[in-house]
Amino acid sequence: MNPGLKLLLVMAIALEISFTQSLIVNVILIGVSFIYILFNRVTFKALIGLIFWPLFPALGLFVSQWLYGSAGIHFAWILFTRIYAYVFLGATFTLTSSITNLALTLEQDFRLPSKFAYGVLAAFNLMPKINEEVQIIKTSALMRGEALHFWSPKLYFKAILSSIQWSQNLAEAMTSHGFVEDQGRTHYRVIKITRMDWVWFIGLFGIVQVLLFFIRY
Amino acid sequence: MTDVLIDHFTYEYPGSTVKVLNDVDVTFKHNHFSLLTGPSGSGKSTLLYFIAGLYPHFIGNDALGGIKFGDTDIKQIPSNEISHSVAMMFQNPNQQFAMDTVIHELTFVLENMLVDPAKIDGIINHALDFCGIKQLRSRVINTLSGGEKQRVALACIVAMDPPVIVLDEPFASIDPDSRLDLIKKLKQLQVEHGKTIILADHDLNDYKGVIDEFYYLDPDTHHISLLDSQSAQHFFDNFKNTQTINKQVAIPTEAAPSIINIKDFKLQPHHSLLLKLGDFKFCKEKTTLITGANGIGKSTLFNALTKLLPYNGEIDFAGKNIQKIRPLPYAKNVTLLFQDAENQFLNITVKEELDLSLKNRTNQAYSIDDVQTMLKELSIDGRDDQVVYSLSEGQKKKLQIIEMLIMNPPVLLMDEPFKGLDYHSLEVVVGFLNRSKQEFHQTQIIISHQLSGLDTLIDYHANFADQNLTYQEVIK
Repeated sequence: MNPGLKLLLVMAIALEISFTQSLIVNVILIGVSFIYILFNRVTFKALIGLIFWPLFPALGLFVSQWLYGSAGIHFAWILFTRIYAYVFLGATFTLTSSITNLALTLEQDFRLPSKFAYGVLAAFNLMPKINEEVQIIKTSALMRGEALHFWSPKLYFKAILSSIQWSQNLAEAMTSHGFVEDQGRTHYRVIKITRMDWVWFIGLFGIVQVLLFFIRY
Repeated sequence: MTDVLIDHFTYEYPGSTVKVLNDVDVTFKHNHFSLLTGPSGSGKSTLLYFIAGLYPHFIGNDALGGIKFGDTDIKQIPSNEISHSVAMMFQNPNQQFAMDTVIHELTFVLENMLVDPAKIDGIINHALDFCGIKQLRSRVINTLSGGEKQRVALACIVAMDPPVIVLDEPFASIDPDSRLDLIKKLKQLQVEHGKTIILADHDLNDYKGVIDEFYYLDPDTHHISLLDSQSAQHFFDNFKNTQTINKQVAIPTEAAPSIINIKDFKLQPHHSLLLKLGDFKFCKEKTTLITGANGIGKSTLFNALTKLLPYNGEIDFAGKNIQKIRPLPYAKNVTLLFQDAENQFLNITVKEELDLSLKNRTNQAYSIDDVQTMLKELSIDGRDDQVVYSLSEGQKKKLQIIEMLIMNPPVLLMDEPFKGLDYHSLEVVVGFLNRSKQEFHQTQIIISHQLSGLDTLIDYHANFADQNLTYQEVIK
């Protein structure tokens, strides 16, 4: 499915289940997303992470609603499953779509300014460097006799400075490589939203509406 | 015809009164290979950024005078067409790519230039082929070595195919083989494809017989002059004298006291073996030079020595496993002078930076007067309130070296410490390092491609090759 439409679909469904209360639909969404993820061959580690990390907020919500809330245990279960539904819906996008394809479709099909699409992409490509950079900042600070912790303002100051510097260099690099804001570009890889994409999008969205309408428990 | 005309060009940085380029009036000739030389920080980069059309857009204030490509004033070229006239290669290999992989970057470049998608594959194949890097096609740029990145940068320029190519010290941090290869490629672009090439460098190796014109930016008058062949020869000869290192060094004896010992050591980031050492030592209070081709793993070794990277085996500092020494005390004992000076800065102004070193140093080896003298000798004094990030690359390097000398750690690792320094500054820094070693008993381990001028400093030489590090008597 087109990554742009997929993102839109995931966000729409997530928004919708925030305002509806159906335990069964939540469970169905989790189940379907889970199967979809399995079919896309994600790593076992990522899968365990998806199940493990949301456990804390989900349990927290569940316990506080069950023990202190006024809406009873059914609503507690809805909150619990909602968290997992968000996480798994999100994962169907993040674990199976390429950020490059998303940027391409946002630029070509969703008519986002190319500056935005490529800016985001370039920033995303910098992410591994940001991790490295934080490690380097910490080590280099130690060598100058300063221990920086994650709460040290200097660490953030330095990280932000690096980002400003990088964004300037990145802008110069993009310019020298012929990129000009708001100017036409050709597209080597044309990403189109196909009829099948629309069928899936409308079909899946419709099914969720039907489920939410009929299954109120 | 695309002569590049610089017409009474005068520029000063925002907030500065020094004219970094003063009434520069030269013509870089069409289809010539022009070399622009001059000490670091003299304004070569600034002029090139203007020629490439990046300034004044990215700097804020404009210059007086004009730049023309043939008959066309650069200001009359619409911004979306400037890359059809000129392309630039930057000094820092890490700062010229927007995309993740080599192929994506090349595609991005050609899309920007409105190339018909049907022709893109052909152009990319040609560009990669021309630069001899077909095998890098699908590689992630972040994982490439400096030399490889500069080849990719050249491939982008070949794909863009502009008549004018400007290069800002493009070889400052790459190995001699890559450098020679890239210079040959540039010559080929000039001779066979009619390009006009303007290259700034203060390292004159490999240019003789290649370049057509020799320009010198005088750091005192801020003028650029075209030198006749005799004066150019004089520059080459002068440079050559300073480029050889005629020194036989000893091989450390069994008895020589060591400070860092490496045992049963294996370094294999990303599962590819870079270095395997059974037993190796770095000698106490000596200067060891590490040489070897670029991308072979020298900097990675330093990352292991500073615990920035995991490794197999054991590294001992003064007889103790470094994994058992707490991070802060270890960092104060075994300190790295980063290749990229900005990595070392924690504050904003020059004064704050120096004060930090004075505050946190573990010993008082250097007096305040010493520091002032050092600043003066490297001519970066009187810049107390300047933001460190606005210094030129050479000035950043000088400041970084001084602030790490003030810390005076027992072991100082230096990764390309002479990068971006002109020859005179290098000699001054070598003097500082000798003093540190002799008076303050510092152990120094240096990675450097720059060899000349280091004769008086180097005690031992270790060559990095074939996943091994071996002491050698000759340095080349």
